[in-house]
Amino acid sequence: MTGVPIVPLQESLLPESLNISFKLLPAILVLGMLGLFLAIGFVFRVADTEDMWVAGRSIGNVENGMAIGANWMSAASYLGMAASIALAGFYGLVFVVGWTTGYFILLIFLAAQLRRFGKYTAPDFVGDRFNSDTARAIAAVTTFLIGFVYAIGQAKGMALVGLYVFGDYGGIIPGLDGYQVMVVFMMAITVGYLTLSGMLGATKNQAVQYVILISAFLLGLFVVGYTNGYSTVLPQMEYGMLISELGSEFSEPFVTSSYYLWIATTFSLIVGTCGLPHVLVRFYTVESERTARWSTVWGLFFICLLYWSAPAFAAFGTDLYSSNVRPTYGDPGMASAASEVIVVLAAQLSNLPQWFVGFVAAGGIAAAIATVAGLFIAGSSAISHDIYTNIVNEDATQRQQILVGRLSIVALGALTTLAALNPASSIAALVGYAFALAGSVLFPMFFIGMWWENANRQGALAGMTTGLVGWSIPMINEIVPTYMSSLEAPLSAGLAQWMPAIGSALITLPIVFAVTIIVSLVTAEPDMETKRVVRQCHSPEPMGQHRTAEDVVTDGGETPADD
Amino acid sequence: MADNTNQDSNDTVETDGGVAGQAGQAHRNTDYLGSEVNLLNPSTPFMRDHLRVVWTGFIIWVLAVFGPVTLTYLATDAMTTQMPVLGFPLHYFLVAFGAPTSALILSFWYSRKRDALDEKYGIDHKTVEEAGRGSEAAATDGGVDE
Repeated sequence: MTGVPIVPLQESLLPESLNISFKLLPAILVLGMLGLFLAIGFVFRVADTEDMWVAGRSIGNVENGMAIGANWMSAASYLGMAASIALAGFYGLVFVVGWTTGYFILLIFLAAQLRRFGKYTAPDFVGDRFNSDTARAIAAVTTFLIGFVYAIGQAKGMALVGLYVFGDYGGIIPGLDGYQVMVVFMMAITVGYLTLSGMLGATKNQAVQYVILISAFLLGLFVVGYTNGYSTVLPQMEYGMLISELGSEFSEPFVTSSYYLWIATTFSLIVGTCGLPHVLVRFYTVESERTARWSTVWGLFFICLLYWSAPAFAAFGTDLYSSNVRPTYGDPGMASAASEVIVVLAAQLSNLPQWFVGFVAAGGIAAAIATVAGLFIAGSSAISHDIYTNIVNEDATQRQQILVGRLSIVALGALTTLAALNPASSIAALVGYAFALAGSVLFPMFFIGMWWENANRQGALAGMTTGLVGWSIPMINEIVPTYMSSLEAPLSAGLAQWMPAIGSALITLPIVFAVTIIVSLVTAEPDMETKRVVRQCHSPEPMGQHRTAEDVVTDGGETPADD
Repeated sequence: MADNTNQDSNDTVETDGGVAGQAGQAHRNTDYLGSEVNLLNPSTPFMRDHLRVVWTGFIIWVLAVFGPVTLTYLATDAMTTQMPVLGFPLHYFLVAFGAPTSALILSFWYSRKRDALDEKYGIDHKTVEEAGRGSEAAATDGGVDE
């Protein structure tokens, strides 16, 4: 129904035809890489909140571009996208389009203005712009929820790849199969490194992680293409010749999904891109608004390197699977667990040396860890900074804030691990739900809040509540029943068709916009100081590296707040 | 008057000494904190110029992102023909390669345009960044924002 195959819970999550066993060289590669991340995190460990949340606002163009790329390219990009393209064909391309083109919208409407606003977290913007701790709390809860839903997909990806490298330890933890043991192991490593370092460590790490993941992916693609005779120097273009041989399922439009679903999903992924807290916060960390703009261009370029290549990897993997294992399409076809590791599988089926396949696998783990880092930082800062420090305990010391931040990272890690033991959907779909949430709740607040100074507290509260409810309806319809054995998903087929969980922002976003605007119009305008902060965000007048729009408005110019 | 922003920017390329011609003067005479922010109704010459770039890019972006797939829906046969040389079905190429690449090119174009606008209005980011670094650094060790 959704076009993205949903894994039935009964099915084993062990990907068949993947060579699952302990492999020494790949294991050394992955552990060495994780050790490197921990070492970098340790060297750049932080004890001060400004460093923890926004890296001292010291990050430059290319470095921030790489961090944007690594932060962005998760297991969903590295593994899930090729999986969706291989299984869902033309519909799978929604991820390629949605996860790249949204950056242009972010760039023209939000990037520089966010840098000028210059606070610490996404909920900070919502709370300060709309002068409401309730709005701040709703945004913080949303941020936490996004981190949670998004990270489930990452945990699944890491665990599947971990199986290839480390083998099957089913039963070591009573009641858990090999996949589930690997979820616990990989999440423990991720949380360990994150609690040591904060955003500064994460930013430094992300540049390294970007280099590892992009070289693993591109080298893997070149070598797979070359050794099988698919391509020579430009596999991103040469796979076109292969498409006609893969079967009509690979490229024929609208066979696994409708035109409507295509548009809805793409739209949802685009606005989600512009509303994801861990993406938005990257613009607070740069040194100037001009850097905010150009690092977006760099980031998009770094992202495109992988997104041009993923469809090629999917095509090669599909052909290799069909000729070595069994036909990809038809009955039984490629199992979804196998499709999720198709990138690793393609390298394995090409009879490449084990260490090389391990390198490709390590790239997938790097991709997942980098994104979980960004998500958990955003989620934990929502708890520690926005809820604990701003609402619960206003006199919190830095030590207390950091402690709460670390505890919430551990809590997020534990929740994610539990949910990932039995994931309800494919990696890409799980991540898509988080995008629908960001696009329904946070993006409208940022967009309207930044571009219409008369948007007010009542409008924001009404809009965000509407967005949360709108997002929950298809989630309850399609996803929740998969966790309950007595119910069958979806509860309502008609609702799932017109308001699919993965593309629900197409419906909710216009409603949230309308509600926010109408409620703002019928209630009192915001005070002059708030309006002046918004104006300062759009002023072309340059401002200092450590200043925020609010600083400028309160110390410069005429006396503020003349209402 | 400062309102006339349609004219060519030929007379505004001089940036030395901060004498930036008409646009620069308009910039200096604008009270940005006193001008309303409204996406649909820009109130300053700079915002009008900026939004012209933003909307142009946005329209091209909509066509590049949703155009190919809509055409594929409307004219499936024509759009799924195989391309010469590359071998892609046309719709597949336009979506998988065309859309991301368009967004990248548009982003580059926008950032260049935005830099050009700064130049036209005589705005220099460098000097302020340097100055800001020294004078504001001390403010970071205190409490978190109040």
